Parts: sequence; structure tokens; C-alpha cells
Amino acid sequence: MAFSTTVSQRKYIKRKAPRGFLKRVFKRQKPHLRLETSSDLLVHLNCLLFVHRLAEESRMNAFENKYGIIKKEHVQAAAKVILKKSRG
Amino acid sequence: MAESYNRDSEPTTRTLLRRVLDTADTRTPRRRRSARVGAQKALLETPSSRRLSTPTKMNVRRGSHRARSIGRLAHVHTSGNLEEQTPRTLLKNIILTAPESSIMTPKSVVKPVPTPQVAQSSRQESSRGSLELQLPELEPPTTLALGLLAPGRRKQRLRLSVFQQEMDQGLPLSQAEPRGNASASSLTSSLSLNFATPLQPQSVQRPGLARRPPIRRAVDVGAFLQDLRDTSLALASPGDSLRTPVATLPTDTVLEDTQPFSQPLVGHSPSVYHSLPFLSHTEAENAERAVSHRTQSSGSRLQNHNPGKPAQLLSGKAKKVDVLAVRFPNNSSAISGEDGVEPLQDGVGEEAEERMEESLSMSEVMGSTGTQGSVRTEKSKGHREMTEALEAKEPEGSSEDEDISGRTASPELASSTTESLQARRPQFLEPSPPPSTTVLSSEPLEPLSTRHPPRARTHGPRPRQDPHKTGLSHYVKLFSFYAKMPMEKKALEMVEKCLDKYFQHLCDDLEVFSAHAGRKTVRPEDLELLMRRQGLVNDQVSLHVLVERHLPLEYRNLLIPCAFSGNSVFPAQ
Repeated sequence: MAFSTTVSQRKYIKRKAPRGFLKRVFKRQKPHLRLETSSDLLVHLNCLLFVHRLAEESRMNAFENKYGIIKKEHVQAAAKVILKKSRG
Repeated sequence: MAESYNRDSEPTTRTLLRRVLDTADTRTPRRRRSARVGAQKALLETPSSRRLSTPTKMNVRRGSHRARSIGRLAHVHTSGNLEEQTPRTLLKNIILTAPESSIMTPKSVVKPVPTPQVAQSSRQESSRGSLELQLPELEPPTTLALGLLAPGRRKQRLRLSVFQQEMDQGLPLSQAEPRGNASASSLTSSLSLNFATPLQPQSVQRPGLARRPPIRRAVDVGAFLQDLRDTSLALASPGDSLRTPVATLPTDTVLEDTQPFSQPLVGHSPSVYHSLPFLSHTEAENAERAVSHRTQSSGSRLQNHNPGKPAQLLSGKAKKVDVLAVRFPNNSSAISGEDGVEPLQDGVGEEAEERMEESLSMSEVMGSTGTQGSVRTEKSKGHREMTEALEAKEPEGSSEDEDISGRTASPELASSTTESLQARRPQFLEPSPPPSTTVLSSEPLEPLSTRHPPRARTHGPRPRQDPHKTGLSHYVKLFSFYAKMPMEKKALEMVEKCLDKYFQHLCDDLEVFSAHAGRKTVRPEDLELLMRRQGLVNDQVSLHVLVERHLPLEYRNLLIPCAFSGNSVFPAQ
């Protein structure tokens, strides 16, 4: 059951920043603000680090419960922690 | 002193120097004294001068230059140890100390090794202050270079003088020689005072590396036409319907051959799309009309960017066919109209030649047309190849069956979207009469509908969420990559939600920060502040470090200011 619903690991990921997507998201949220070009990339960097931390935390959660797969609960718990941290 | 040596018949450095010394008038008062001091320095000079065994011209030039400079130097020098060494004295010492036989023997392996050794030994001896002349100072590079050269190049060695003479004549030399000697000569030019033996371009020195323009196979139009004719003849039943339109091809199509979008075609444009409904009718039969319609429509479609009403198509069918036939060699082949085909093919062939630089595609087309396979196969193959070769816009025309339908659709799109030039390419695609008319029926309807009333698509709500999801999915994939463990699909959805929340928080924070700075734009400083507050950036880890670690090089170049030449920094601070 679990294995059928799992996602295969990716060997190669693209490292491009979805700049258009980021700009669109920002515009949608804050239409009265503008985003600079370089800050676009820094936002991407921020997202990368956030995702990285989230993944690490989820992994640790899964390991602690001796699961070989990351489950939704692990992610949820991890998200709580990391989102709190990323509050700024 | 120096005159004691017998003069050589061939112009070596020494002979030239001697000549110079003899001929130049001595204006330096320190001639006598300099001889002693110069003797030690001469050892330094000899290797350099020997290595600089430049051709006659250069030596003479140098010698004369030296002679002239001597006079000038003489007046400049006032006192000091260095003053005792004048170029003249140095030259004299060279002649004194240099061995009679030239180091660079003709056609023999030059031994720059002894020269560096000599140079080094001489350098040790002359541990005095630097000479005024450039020669000794420039020795080390020469030594090093030649030292490097020596172990590498033991193959053929010409005398440098001979080589340079040849270079002057502009003869390209073999690789071994130029490489070795070129560097030597380049050093020479750097060492020597004013001699600039221009280094031959690499291509001259290494003819093997010269880039030749790609050889393009010209399209053999005759063979092509012949193939087409053969193919068209080979066609039996499928070609029946196709032939009829071709038969009506008048000879005036020849006019069109070079102008893909000549005026006559313009009038037929509106009728193009009228053919589409007819295509559906011909579904059952072999679509002779469909083919003609198709070709006409495709041709007109291509030529005219506007989808017109197909009503007028019927009237001008015959004319269109031939007009279109001009454009579509494959069409004509399928139609198997011999007479009409030829001029068409000629025209098309010319166009093809102009158009398609890849003769490969054409040859493929020819080959495909030459084969006795089904017309459709050929066409689709040819079209496909041409498509690929011509970078057709419509990738739909890849599969066989889809080709036909795709081509019908694509020409429309092409004509609507692209200019005449680009539309030409789809022309080649379209003409292939799709024997499988079943697909035609569905296809014509679709393009028509897209043309006229914008068909109600199911894309209503999709665009809103889709790009957002796709953008998020990028980060979700990154999440799964960082996790290094298999994950549940639900977990991924959870990650998406987290990302949404995260983006909201991010935007809020950035707004606060920029407002705090009294700005309405979010700038990198705000981002840095955010990361600092998040704990990612601290005194140990700076933002630049994080950028270097996690972002690819292209972004790093954009973010981190870097100094470039010309006193410029990018990005500007």
C-alpha cells in the first residue's frame, strides 16, 4: 500500500529558479509592492533553504519513528516547527 | 678585441654585431672601461643573443638600433657602475665570448638547453645590479620558455632564421616547427627591442586545425524530380483522386516557383478554409477532393495567415491546386501529375534548396519519395524529416496518422501565427495528402472551430491553479530530493500546503521590512534581513556563503558583486 503511493526518488533536479512563478506569487499577494530582480533570486534561495530544512526535519521525524517512508504526519510535525522558525 | 675572430660567411648574430661594432662610430667615452665589466655581462648576453638568432634582418636592425642607442646612451650616462655597460660594450663582449660555431645549426635539433644552462651560470656570475639593457632582464622568461620547449620539442627543428624567413614568405609551416619556433620567435619579439615578428595566425601554423566551411551537398533537382515522378507513377489507386487535381494544373504555375507568396495565391486564401468542410465529406472516398482541398487549403493557409471561408475554394479549386502544387512537391508526387509536376518540382526544388540547407532532409525526402512505399508514408516521413530539418513549429506532425491531422491543424496554426517565410515550411508538411481520410474528418472540424468561434475549451479554471501548482511542484520535487527517502503522495500534498503558507509569511515579512525602510520595492537588503532573522545568516555564515552554496553559478554571478577588468564591478553596487 504504502509503496504504491510513494514517489520515486529523483536523480537529477533542475536548479533553475522559477522566477516568473515567484514574481507572480508575490504580485498576487502584495500587488502594491514591487520585487526587484536580484531579490527574486534571493527569494528562491530562501525557498530552497526552507524546503531543505523541512525535508531534513521530516526525515528526522520519519527516522525517529523508524519509518522507511516519510509520511504525512512527519511532514506535518516538521512543518509546524520549521514554519515557526521561518517566521522572522 | 672582437676583431680577432674570423668572420663567418653566413650572417649570424655575431657577425652582424661585429659589423655593427665596426661600422658604428664610437661616441661613448667609456668604451675602454666597459670592456672589462662587460665581459662578465656578456655571458648573460650570449645566451640571449644566441637564442635570439634572428634572421638577418632582425639582427641588422637590432645592431643598428643598438648602434644608435649607444650614442644616445653615452650622453645620458654620467657615472655609476652601470654606466660602464653600454650596448656597444655588451655586443662586443658577446662577440668575444660567444663560441665560434652558432648554436643553431641548420636542420639540427636546437639545443636551447645549453643556453639556459649557460644563461643560468652567467646569471649567477653576474649577480651585480641589473643591467640597463633589457636583454638580461628578459632572459629568465626566455630561459624558462626555452627550457620548457626543449623537453617538449625534439622533432624537426628548423633554424629560427630559416623559419622566420619562411614565415615572412607566408608559407604555412608544419605544426612542430611553428609551435616550437613560434614561441621562440614570440619571445624573441618580446626580448628584442623593436622586432615584432608577427606570429602567424594559428591556422597558418596549424593547418590541420583550420576550419573549413561545411561542405553542403547541393540538391540534385533533376534526381529529385525524377524520384518524385517515379513515386507518383508508382502510386496506383491512392493517387487516382490525387491525380485529378494535378491534371488540372496549368502551366502557369511556373510563375510561382520562386515566389512562395506571389500575388495570385493571395486571392485564393479565403477559399482555403472552405475546403475544410469538404474534407470531412471526402472522408469515405480517397479524398481526391480532400487532397486537393488540403493542398489548396494548406497552401493557401500557409500563404495567407487568415483562415478564410472555404466557400470560394470551389471556384478557384483548379487554380489553387496548381498553385499549391507548386509549393508542395510531395503533393504533386502524390497527385502524380507528371506534366504539372515538373515545373512545380522545379520551383519547389529551388525553393527547397533555398530553404533547406540541410540537404540531408531533402535527400531523405527524395529517398522517401523514391521508395515505393505509400504516399502517405513518404510524405509523412519526408514531412517529418523536413519538419525536423526545418524546425517545424508543429511537433504534432510526428506520428504518421497524426501527421495528417496534425498537419492540417498545424498549417492553420502556422499560417495564423507565422509569417509567410515560416509558413513555407509547413507547406511541405501539408501537401502530403493523407490517405487516411478518417482522420481528416475530425481534423478539419477542429481547426475550423478554432478558427471561427473560439471553441469553448475546458481550460477555464485550469490556468489559475495550474501554473501555481506547477511552480510549487518545482519546490516539492526539491523537497523529495532533499529528503532522500521515499515519500507518500499525501505527504507531498502536505508539503504543498506548507509552501503556500510559507510564501504568505514570506510576502508579509518582506512587506514589513520594506515598509520599515520606507520603500515600496523589495530589495535584496530586505531579503538579507529576513534571512538573518530566520537564523540562516549569522555572523559565521554570511549571505554570500549561502548563495555560493546553494545557487548555481549563473545566479551567483548576478547576486555577488564581482570585479571585472576596466575597473568595473558587476552587479553594480
